[in-house]
Amino acid sequence: MIKKSKKMLAAYGMVLPAFLVVMAVVAWPILEAVKQSFTHPDTGTFTLENYKFFFTTPNEIRNLLYTLYVVLVTVFLAIVIAYLLAMYLRFVKSPISRAIGNLYLVPRFVPGLVAVYAMITIIRDSGLINRISQLFGADVELGMMYHASGMITMNLWFNIPFAALMITAGLGAIPDSVIEGARDVGANRWKVFTSMVLPLSIKDVVIAGTFVFMSNVGSFTTPYLMGGNSPKMLGISLFDQFNKYQRYERAAALSVIIFLICSVSAGVYIYTNLKEKEWEK
Amino acid sequence: MKMKRLLACLLCALMVLSLAACGGNSGGSSDAGASNAGSSDAGASDAGASNAAPSGTVHLWATGSDNVRQVFETLVETFNAQSDSVQVELNFMLSGTGTQTMVDMLAAAYKSGQTNTDYDLIDLGGDDFSRLLSLIGTEAFLTLDSAKMPNAASVDAEPAEGADILQPYRGTTVVLAYNSETVPTPPKTLDELVAWMEANPGRFAYNVPGTGGAGDAFVRTAVYNYIEDAEAWSSDDEKWMEQWDSGFEFLASIHPYMYTSGGTVTYPNKNQGALDLLSNKEIDMCPMWADMLLSQRSAGTVPQCMKMTTITPSFTGSLQGMAIPTFGSNTEGAYEFINYMLSAEAQQILVEKMAAIPLIDTSEMNLDGVEDLADLDVTQFRTLSIGSLDTYFNERWDNEISTLG
Repeated sequence: MIKKSKKMLAAYGMVLPAFLVVMAVVAWPILEAVKQSFTHPDTGTFTLENYKFFFTTPNEIRNLLYTLYVVLVTVFLAIVIAYLLAMYLRFVKSPISRAIGNLYLVPRFVPGLVAVYAMITIIRDSGLINRISQLFGADVELGMMYHASGMITMNLWFNIPFAALMITAGLGAIPDSVIEGARDVGANRWKVFTSMVLPLSIKDVVIAGTFVFMSNVGSFTTPYLMGGNSPKMLGISLFDQFNKYQRYERAAALSVIIFLICSVSAGVYIYTNLKEKEWEK
Repeated sequence: MKMKRLLACLLCALMVLSLAACGGNSGGSSDAGASNAGSSDAGASDAGASNAAPSGTVHLWATGSDNVRQVFETLVETFNAQSDSVQVELNFMLSGTGTQTMVDMLAAAYKSGQTNTDYDLIDLGGDDFSRLLSLIGTEAFLTLDSAKMPNAASVDAEPAEGADILQPYRGTTVVLAYNSETVPTPPKTLDELVAWMEANPGRFAYNVPGTGGAGDAFVRTAVYNYIEDAEAWSSDDEKWMEQWDSGFEFLASIHPYMYTSGGTVTYPNKNQGALDLLSNKEIDMCPMWADMLLSQRSAGTVPQCMKMTTITPSFTGSLQGMAIPTFGSNTEGAYEFINYMLSAEAQQILVEKMAAIPLIDTSEMNLDGVEDLADLDVTQFRTLSIGSLDTYFNERWDNEISTLG
């Protein structure tokens, strides 16, 4: 008995530092922010004004919808492209696929700011593409800078390798025997995909999607350097409320709103994980 | 068992969320500067420093961006190499939110009645200086004795306020940067500039106010040009906000002629954003800091054909200077360093390293590559310090101008 409780204590002791760090730097500030978001800036009393502002001001509603638009398009494109890439890496065995398999993670090792500036140099109206087009007598101006399309392109650059990494791991776990078995009983390629490969990897797809979603909702660097002035992404809007206008209560409310948007995604993530556990039983 | 799993999942999700939160902000703002602010406290060290002959260590406090830090390191190094008795130690705070900290730390030290601190010498510019004056007033600083810094005699420039406590040593100003290939005769007045914008839509840009001083100077002078009362230019009284309307109407009227990308008018973030548009020839003109334009032109990142001019009414400029707090501990040493800052050698370093506008006679200086500096007359600079009104100003701009689409 004593031995067991000693073990228990040791286990808690090992979890404790991580738990305390999470409490101190995540849970506590979140609680403080939630409290502040319901505080009136002048009187210090309880109010819903800070939230009302973001859901009644036309500009703020546009910012919210714009953010969701950019993020959802990013998630969709990143997952589709990453899935195709992962399928290729899993099922095609050739020197080229092996080379791609080694190279596709390189973007993960390029610092974000460097990558953003690199992309800007290429796509801006006077950038690399424009200059190459001038050699052929054309004057291609992409108009992607300060525009949603530029930001989405940049987000894809960041997120495709990440999503592909997760999906590749999922696809790698599907044994060849499953696919061979299905082929043996007469399933065609499409049937193998829809009844075997996709159901077995859908969990990883959903999880990759939730991660891409969450990492983009509050993104700052890309929209700050590549986004337009209006509408703006919520990360920029939050920065402006806090740093530029010094409206800390509104900033807190916006943080909570961003947090809630992410929570939807986190909910999907938890649900997917629990469901898989049921299936394994 | 199930409970444990659920708990594990929840904890996992919490960590994921926290990761996402971190990811969202990483590399974002330049707030990193805030972290190094608190490290050296206002505690009274060097209590034993003498007040008689210049000797001992002078603690110099400065704030700004990284190029300012580099210049100061060079200046301090050369000063220390030639001085036997006085040695200067630089305490530099990178700007960001840290900017407020230096002013706040000084104000706190003064208000809590500390004496003999190591705030021996403070480097201050326009906005910081006026903020500090409004916080603790002029009596917190020594009235400067020009006999103790003979080089000051050759400097004419005086700050708009607090001239007897702040010794200016360099100037900065916002100019109109233009591409001399496409604009052979740059506009001389604001009206000519507007006429040029209308004739050349999409070829002018200014950076978003609040993200860089060049854009700030452009929009604020544009708005304050409409206010007759000169008092407004150095007041943070909220009553002046009522008089912003005509200025904002003007900004809205020139909005359609600004730089466009993807079919809509866009304002770049940060001074550098506007300067990048100019050097890539996507625009022909923008307001820009003289020193940014010149130092990047010398470095080769901005083409040689980019020149600068001033228009009337001019944009704003300001003087950077040094002040000696009464609660420091090495006054004589501080004078020694101010005197050095006004020497030909230090001024030359400032010109070469940051294309600063020198305050001593430029005819004896080497202005290779930055000849444009000789034409800038610091005594003609207009200064605009509206204190905390800038927050409302930027917010109004964001709500009224940037949303015009």
